[in-house]
Amino acid sequence: MNLYLKELKSSRKSLFFWSLGMVFMIVAGMSKYGSLATTGQSLNELMNTMPQSIQAIMGIGTLDLSTPIGYFGVVFSNLILIASIHAILMGANMIAKEETDKTAEFLLTKPLSRAQILSAKLCATVTSILLLNIITSVVSMIILSAYYSEASSLTSLMLLMTGMFFVQLIFASLGIFIATINKSVKKTSAIATAALLITYLLSIAINLSKPLENLQYLTPFKYFEAKTILVDQSLDPLFLMLTLCIVVLFTSFSYGIFKNRDLQI
Amino acid sequence: MNVIELKQLTKRYGRTRGIENLSFHVEEGEIFGFIGPNGAGKSTTIRTLLSLIYPTSGSATIFGKDTVKYAPEIKKEIGYLPSEVFYYDNMKVKDLLKYSARFYKKDCHRRMVALADQLNLDLDRKIDDLSFGNKKKVGIIQGLLHEPRLIILDEPTGGLDPLMQQTFFEILRLENQKGTTILFSSHILSEVQKLCDRVAIIKEGQLVKVEKISELKANSHKKVEIETSGEINERFFELSGINHVERGEHLTRFWFSGNMNTLLEQLTQLELMNLWIEEPDLEEIFMHYYEKER
Repeated sequence: MNLYLKELKSSRKSLFFWSLGMVFMIVAGMSKYGSLATTGQSLNELMNTMPQSIQAIMGIGTLDLSTPIGYFGVVFSNLILIASIHAILMGANMIAKEETDKTAEFLLTKPLSRAQILSAKLCATVTSILLLNIITSVVSMIILSAYYSEASSLTSLMLLMTGMFFVQLIFASLGIFIATINKSVKKTSAIATAALLITYLLSIAINLSKPLENLQYLTPFKYFEAKTILVDQSLDPLFLMLTLCIVVLFTSFSYGIFKNRDLQI
Repeated sequence: MNVIELKQLTKRYGRTRGIENLSFHVEEGEIFGFIGPNGAGKSTTIRTLLSLIYPTSGSATIFGKDTVKYAPEIKKEIGYLPSEVFYYDNMKVKDLLKYSARFYKKDCHRRMVALADQLNLDLDRKIDDLSFGNKKKVGIIQGLLHEPRLIILDEPTGGLDPLMQQTFFEILRLENQKGTTILFSSHILSEVQKLCDRVAIIKEGQLVKVEKISELKANSHKKVEIETSGEINERFFELSGINHVERGEHLTRFWFSGNMNTLLEQLTQLELMNLWIEEPDLEEIFMHYYEKER
C-alpha cells in the first residue's frame, strides 16, 4: 500500500500533462467539427472524393462524419494512440526506473517480496491509465454534449472508451513485460516506443491494404476501432477474449521473470 | 548463533568474475569486517545476501533462514547502507525517511530526529540538493531507523569527513552494544581495524582469509627500507621474520614481522645512513596474503 501510494503520487505530474494533451486533442479535433458541421451532409461527400489511402490513414472508413459521434470517431483514433503511448511508457518506466535511477537498492531491500513490489506497481499503472481514460471520457462527454444531446451517443462514447481502456491495458502490460524481460534497462523505453510504433504502422498498413487483414490480430490498434464499434454498437467478443489472453499472459510472464532475475545495479 | 552464514556461495556474471565458493560466517553481536580491494566482490556478496541478485550456486542464510526463500521476512530485521546512495530526488529527507519507516510498520519519528541531530543533517532539505556526504547521512539514518538486528554497510565512510566518521562509528558501537550485528565492508584497513572484531579478506572473488583483528595486527608486517654506506653482511638476512627482500646498490627494502627489538639490534650492526619503517598499505598486505595462499 505504501509503495502503491508513493507510485501514484509520483505519477501525478505526468498524468496531469498527458490529460492536458488529451483535452487539447479532443477540443482541437471537435472544434473543427463545429466549423464544418454547418455544411452538413457535404462533409461525407468531401471525404468520399479523397483517395482511399488518405481516408485509411485518417481512420475514417465507414464513419458517418455528419454526426458528432461519427466525427468523434476520427478524433478517437488519435486519442487511442496517445493513451497507448502513455500506457506503454508508464508500464515500462514503472519497472525500469528503479534500476535506471538506481533506487532499486533502496526499494528491493525493504521487507517486500518481488511479487508484492510488482503488484503495487501494476496497480499504480492500472489506476493511472484508468484515470487518464476517465478524464478523457468526461471531457469528451462535455464537448460532445455541446453539439448533441442524445442518449445513443453517450452509450457509443462509453463503448469507445471501454475499448480504449482495453487497448491501454494491453500496452501497459506489454510495457511492464518489456521492462522485466529486458537485460539492459537503458534501452527499455526505446524498445517500448519501437513496439508501439510498429503496431501502429501495422494498423495503418492493414487499413491501406486488404490482403494484410489477417495481421489485424497482431496490432491492438485494430481490436477496438471506432468504425466497427459505432456500427455494431458493441465490442467484438473475439478481440475481448484476445485482449484478456494477452494481458494475462504478459502479466504472468512478468511476475515469473521479475521474481527470478538479477537486478541491474 | 550465526547471524550470517555463507556456504560455497558463488555468483558469476556471464564472462566477468563475481564471487567463487565463499564460505564464512558472522556471529551474533559481532562487528565483522569485510575487506578487499575495489572489484574484489564485496558488493556482489552483499547484494547476493540481500537477494538483489541471486546466487549461481551455493547458498547463504541470515538468522538461520535461506536468503532467497525467506528474503522478505529476513529483510524486516536488516538495515542496509549501499555504497552509492541514490534516492527519489524530488522528495524531502524527512519524507523519504518516513516512507522508508512505513515499510517496517514502526513509528520511528523520534529516532529519526535523534539520528539526524547526531549526524547534523537537516531533515527539511530536498534530497536533490544534498551533497554526496549528506546523502550518505540520509543512507545511514535510513539503514538504522527501524532498529534492525543486522546492519549491513557497504563502504559506508565514503564522503563523510573524519569528524563525521567518528560520530558514525560511535553510533555503530552503541548499536553493537545493544546486541546488533554489523557487517562492515571496506577497502580501508585502518577503519576496519578501528571497529571490527573479525575480518574476512577477499580478493578477486575468493576468500583469502578470515582472521581476528588482534591476530591480523600481531602478524602485521612492517616495511623496512635502509640506506647503507657499505655492503650488508649476508648473515643479516638470515634473521627470522625478514622476507620480500629487494636489494639495490645502497637501498635495501624488506618486510619484517616479529620482535622489533631483535630487528633494531641487528640494524645497529649496520653502517646505516638512513632508515624508514612503515606500515605496508592494504594492497601490499593483500599481495602478501595472496602469495601465501598460492
